Amino acid sequence: MASALTVVLPGDVVAQDALPTGTGKKKTLTLGPGLRHIPPNTVTTTVAGTLVTDNRKNAALVEYNSGRYTPFAGDLVIATVNGSAAENFNCLLTPETPPAALPHLAFEGATKKTRPQLPPNSLVYCRVASAGKDQPPELTCVDPSTGKGEGLGPLKGGMLFKISLGMARRLLAPKSELALLDVVGAKVGFEITVGRNGLVHVDGGNVRTTLAVGRGIQEVDQKALGESGQRKLAADVLKSL
Amino acid sequence: MVAPEVTLTQLNRADGSAAYTHNGYSIIGAVNGPIEVQRRDEQPEEATLEVNVRPSAGVGTPRERHLETLLHNTLRSIILTRLIPRTLVQITLQVRSLPEEDTSTGVNTSLTLLPHLLHTAFLSLLSASIPLCTTLTSVLVAYPSSTTKSSTPLLSPTANELLRAKPIRSTHVFAFSGDRRLLLNESDGKFSYEEWETACEMAEEVCCKEEDQGGVSLGDSMVVDGAVQSQNLEKWLREVVRRKVEYEQRWKSAT
Amino acid sequence: MPREAEISINEREFIKQALQEQIRLDGRAFDVFRSLELTFGEEYGVADVQLGKTRVIARISVDVVTPAPERKFDGIFQIVTEFSPMASPAFEIGRPTDAEVILSRILEKAIRRSNALDTESLCIIAGQKCFALRADVHIIDHDGGLIDASCIAVIAALQHFRRPDVQVEGEKAIILSVREREPIPLSILHQPLCVTFSYFEEGEIYLVDANVAEEQVRQGQVIITMNKHGEICQIAKYGGATVNPLALLNCTNIALEKVKQMSKFIQQKLDEDNKKRNPKGLMNELSAENARENAVIPG
Repeated sequence: MASALTVVLPGDVVAQDALPTGTGKKKTLTLGPGLRHIPPNTVTTTVAGTLVTDNRKNAALVEYNSGRYTPFAGDLVIATVNGSAAENFNCLLTPETPPAALPHLAFEGATKKTRPQLPPNSLVYCRVASAGKDQPPELTCVDPSTGKGEGLGPLKGGMLFKISLGMARRLLAPKSELALLDVVGAKVGFEITVGRNGLVHVDGGNVRTTLAVGRGIQEVDQKALGESGQRKLAADVLKSL
Repeated sequence: MVAPEVTLTQLNRADGSAAYTHNGYSIIGAVNGPIEVQRRDEQPEEATLEVNVRPSAGVGTPRERHLETLLHNTLRSIILTRLIPRTLVQITLQVRSLPEEDTSTGVNTSLTLLPHLLHTAFLSLLSASIPLCTTLTSVLVAYPSSTTKSSTPLLSPTANELLRAKPIRSTHVFAFSGDRRLLLNESDGKFSYEEWETACEMAEEVCCKEEDQGGVSLGDSMVVDGAVQSQNLEKWLREVVRRKVEYEQRWKSAT
Repeated sequence: MPREAEISINEREFIKQALQEQIRLDGRAFDVFRSLELTFGEEYGVADVQLGKTRVIARISVDVVTPAPERKFDGIFQIVTEFSPMASPAFEIGRPTDAEVILSRILEKAIRRSNALDTESLCIIAGQKCFALRADVHIIDHDGGLIDASCIAVIAALQHFRRPDVQVEGEKAIILSVREREPIPLSILHQPLCVTFSYFEEGEIYLVDANVAEEQVRQGQVIITMNKHGEICQIAKYGGATVNPLALLNCTNIALEKVKQMSKFIQQKLDEDNKKRNPKGLMNELSAENARENAVIPG
């Protein structure tokens, strides 16, 4: 991460020298959210945020932390079942958006006879299988290559907490380290499930633990707590249990 | 000209919001979207845009409907509606307060309000991260009657200034995109073509950044310190966005 | 228009379970309000209320009209609540939801029919001219407790409002502008405030000031309106939960305590605002001229 932030406004043309040069293995430049390619070779921004480039992956994107979640293929999300149609569950990723389809057979070990029964308003942890502007998003709870659930599936018990999209990305990042979770996790057991759509599901076995962890995460998000702030918060959380 | 005051993403419920105050005009804007659209409003290739202007007192009148139409057409041209087809982008603008002298200035009150509504709507869209093809800035220019002492046009006048320069011969609202295209022009009153052109040039100067400054302006707009007394609305917009980004990224530098 | 999203089963069960263990999601006790904030605008009669994440703005405006023929000696007072998509995309203009109907009905009963405002004082010339007062309630942000917050906003705005003075000479009335004569406050007879109790577990548990999640889980609600003197203006009950009469009596005691606190809070904010407007009391009259001179230097 560069120390100086490159602030962009919608419609800014990204100069050629600001884009990754493509020295890595991948030759084609990948444009992430917030960037638009206008042929032949102009790249402009569509949202306000910071320009982030990755030379190794030969990718560029605009990072922002506001607005509604837009599904991308591969994202892990927590979906709410809205109803069941012929072969799919209709799921909501965010309220008031068109429903996403989760096929009845997209669960580990599901067959036509042993399809899962999910009542309306239950929660499912799933992956976005496909998404795009021209079709409603499709979800899945199995890894297509192995047929295994890999931890995906219905979420039982616990509690759901809203967090910002940026916080969700932070928690899902490969080398994510949240001091709060490390410190609290060393003392009490709990399970968290993070959805890219700004939701985190916490199950601590009892009300107090669940609530303390969930609200702790929300507080880290809202107050943008750093390492030491989180340790202090973790101590408070442990004291309250 | 004093730069408008803005707070982005203030509301918890809406996807994006902006609280805007300038020259006594105070407006709260909220954007929800992209959300599910009603079947009858659905468009196969584009997003549907809904604009609601709500007056501070009383119910909406034809004046609000007229403003909504103007806003709808202008915003439609800057939102990349084709990137989010078959969805709805819902913009609600709640007028919170107007300057005390607003109704006594003798000029068309929908014109004096229009630039502020445009700014609030645009900033709310920014806050909601709706894909846009460009930025938008807008300004009011007023010509006092030539019989009075000064006939130099007033740029972004306050309601009080308008009241003192009464009678006003003509008022013009201009809105420009980031690439200096004229997005909207509403004029009212008697004026010559030359006057209109002068007004348009004045507005363009305030609204848009200096030319020959292509590409992403790396760093240069960020040097400006907290208190901006910017003469330029484009600079002001960058400052607003810089603050938004800094707020969002503050966890990276937190201890 | 999309319907308001329903709360998930997990959340519903968790909230119920937590309540049985005497825990609320935000750590409040059962009978505690969220943090209340009240600010006034530049003009008279604008109150901005924040109750936790809920935000409501009330605005009073005045007009001169002919009074209704059957009520010649009364002015007109109406409260208008219209939800906008700002608070939630499920709200649509021109198509009121149940919540909206309940809100406007409660405010009507609580404030207008309890004669909080002396409408006779709004009469200018009997049968010919009177003031028409209008309170617009704008819901800006919605996280539950809309009724309580709206009531606070309207009552605070009414107390803050100043109407222009009139000079009556026989059949002629002259409305004096703000510049000519200091506007005068409304004649308010008492200050009713609402406290909403949300019922859970067949009326076994009740909460004060529920947020949206708790409102979605509750079985019923009881709204009690009273003033700080302990006079009950109205009680309304919605939803299916059965409520024990003794528990209801207990609720009125809690409500009285809350109303007293809130009235005190509103009065304190009004005093602060008044002090800001008239830093030196009457001396302000003399210095106003100078202040106005300074204000018009073009920026």
